[in-house]
Amino acid sequence: MKQPERHRHGYVDRRESIRLLTGFLAGSPLLLAQQDPFRDHSRIPSIDELIDVFDFEALAYEKLPRSAYNYTAYGAAGEFTLRRNREVFKWIELIPKGVVNVSSIDTTTEILGTRMNFPIMVAPTAGHTALHPSGEAGTHEGCTAAAETPMIVSHAASMPIEEIAASASGPIWVQLYPSPDIETNRKPLEKAQAAGARAVVVTVDQEAAFYERALHDRNLAGRRSRRIRRPRRDLNRYRIPVKRLWYEWKLFDQLRSFINMPMLAKGVLIAEDAKRCIEHGLDGIVVSNHGGRALDYSPSSLEVLPEIVDVVAGRVPVLIDSGFRRGSDILKALAFGASAVCLGRVPRWGLGAFGPPGAQRILEIVQAELVMAMAHSGRPTLASIDRSLVRADLP
Amino acid sequence: MARIGSLPAATLLIRAQRSPQIIGEPPGRIPPLDELVNSLEFEPVAQRKLDDAAFNAISGGNRSGFDHIVFRPRLMVNTQNLDLTTELFGDAMFTPILIGPASHQNRFHPEGELAMARGASAAQAAMVVADRSDHPVERIAAEAGGPLWYQAYPESDGHSLLSRIHKAVEAGCKAVCITVGTPYGQIGSNGYPRLSTLPPMGNPAFDWNYIDRIRRSVTAPLLLKGVMSAEEAKTAVKNGIQGIVVSNHGGGFVHGLAEPITVLPEIVDAVGGRAPVLVDGGFRRGSDVLKALIFGAKAVLISRPALWGLAAYGAEGVRTVVELLQTELARDLAMVGAANPQDLSRDFVKISRR
Ligand SMILES: Cc1cc2nc3c(=O)[nH]c(=O)nc-3n(C[C@H](O)[C@H](O)[C@H](O)COP(=O)(O)O)c2cc1C
Repeated sequence: MKQPERHRHGYVDRRESIRLLTGFLAGSPLLLAQQDPFRDHSRIPSIDELIDVFDFEALAYEKLPRSAYNYTAYGAAGEFTLRRNREVFKWIELIPKGVVNVSSIDTTTEILGTRMNFPIMVAPTAGHTALHPSGEAGTHEGCTAAAETPMIVSHAASMPIEEIAASASGPIWVQLYPSPDIETNRKPLEKAQAAGARAVVVTVDQEAAFYERALHDRNLAGRRSRRIRRPRRDLNRYRIPVKRLWYEWKLFDQLRSFINMPMLAKGVLIAEDAKRCIEHGLDGIVVSNHGGRALDYSPSSLEVLPEIVDVVAGRVPVLIDSGFRRGSDILKALAFGASAVCLGRVPRWGLGAFGPPGAQRILEIVQAELVMAMAHSGRPTLASIDRSLVRADLP
Repeated sequence: MARIGSLPAATLLIRAQRSPQIIGEPPGRIPPLDELVNSLEFEPVAQRKLDDAAFNAISGGNRSGFDHIVFRPRLMVNTQNLDLTTELFGDAMFTPILIGPASHQNRFHPEGELAMARGASAAQAAMVVADRSDHPVERIAAEAGGPLWYQAYPESDGHSLLSRIHKAVEAGCKAVCITVGTPYGQIGSNGYPRLSTLPPMGNPAFDWNYIDRIRRSVTAPLLLKGVMSAEEAKTAVKNGIQGIVVSNHGGGFVHGLAEPITVLPEIVDAVGGRAPVLVDGGFRRGSDVLKALIFGAKAVLISRPALWGLAAYGAEGVRTVVELLQTELARDLAMVGAANPQDLSRDFVKISRR
């Protein structure tokens, strides 16, 4: 506790010196080098020993190639938003009711025609084969086994959507990174509809995002060949990729012509944009900062949820993601009026740690946590969850 | 009574903490330039190149104010024609990022200001030449491809000051910043503070008349650097000053000075568009710069990051630091949903108590 003050006082007393020396020795790489380098790997816990989502993250870290773990972990730039996505939950407290009959808890809901046993979905995330050979098919299997959790298949999935859809029976939605040539979007969307996708989520954030830490990994791996400022045709004069700078509202009007399913926009963080989404006929909104991977210093999605729910006023469902890890996290979003919560990294940790059974288990844990959180707070149905459940001290 | 710590190891530890080191990296390693990914990473490399005195002069910087400003990004804004061009006193600058003035740059690199000017030009950035430079302004100007400004301290001997300013303007400096609010040196720059050795650095008789005399004899636009209150900014503009640089001089002179980014909005309001408002102090990220632009600053000066680049890698380091910041700014501008700084407004941020 005294530590930050130490240098100001300009002296170190004897006790403190010994403490510091001990700390110094404990942190010494020389001491560390004498220890068993395989210590950390000597025992991998079994799936039943993992209690919450965070246990899976540690295991995924142990089991995965560092690049796959890191790709899942990254946030944009200095990762301020990545951290804030977790901090926000401390600013919102639950105010439970105790005298309520909670002998049966009902978590079922229906969003845009998709029936769900829990208001929980799997967010679209890229490249699952890097996490497990079963890839997205494995995730879908795990989802279906976990009370038919709907999975939103990423546009950057590592296998064709037909294959993913065929691997299990649960509902799937599909996510699109739109192309400027509108016709180019037709094929993936038609393929997804044919495979049974029931809604499309158009991701429109991350216009020029950058995972700075990816460069560290590149450096550590000794690959440094790509010079940042080498002139490239797809970079503008400020050296940023132009690929996604063309987005305009009319995109949604144009996409409408080849979609027979509900369309949602993902990446909304301000009320004005939510309003415009509705004006442009979107059937739903996903409040998201892309898990802290879009614009750094964006707010956490949960802190802006209330203003967005207010302006939407029930006209379309409002989904949310970014930072959700626990049942109680989900409950807080529901209290502010979210229709469902999407999990991005959580199922990735499950799949990375144990393959499809891991994806299943990690979702089941969150589902059970939500049920417990509802019971403990005296809210047995989704309809009974409202803003009186939360006391928020939002910035 | 303060005592000196008795165990050398403890001292060692304290030193070790001041010298951030990448785990697994040999101490003192100077990584190849293209390994560095943001401006902050140049600081520890600079430290490995410099002695304590030189490094202390450019270490640190407070940017905690930026953590209380979050963006309100807008979607679906076409930014294909992203344009950061910034007009200042008739020059079209590539981006609103300038290299701020810093004295005696030979402390950081054998070629000092000459290397800095080369790096600045390579990154198409304007550079503010410090009054106390280790190279003559015309030599610096010969190295620079982009616009140069000049910075001067008000001195009792106004004549020599004026002749230096005239020389600088003749050498091509397009604007002149008079630094205010630094009568003494940096804390710790001259041993422990003692009253007997406090040489006034500036001019004790400094006042608006003095500034007026300079203004009337200098043809280039005159800016005041170090304005921290709306009140003083207003007075400055009323007295014919053509630009304001909000600055606390990097925070090294008095503990507890406000952070420039936090006083910027009220100063912009007070000036009301009558003169460009610039700002410096703690800018390390493109998002920091974007916040200043959102509050109405016309441009931002960065000093320490450029000096870290200079110390660590010479002109190429300066260029890389500035380019990294330009690129971050461009990314963030696109993602906040504006194609150019003129499209920004305070609706793009929210002040956060957290
Ligand atoms: C590794 C990774 C890959 C992602 N890939 C995509 C993608 O392909 N398409 C997309 O719309 N969002 C993608 N996202 C964002 C997620 O859909 C979601 O917004 C985010 O992960 C939610 O935050 P959480 O991870 O904290 O739950 C990705 C996120 C991660 C972590």
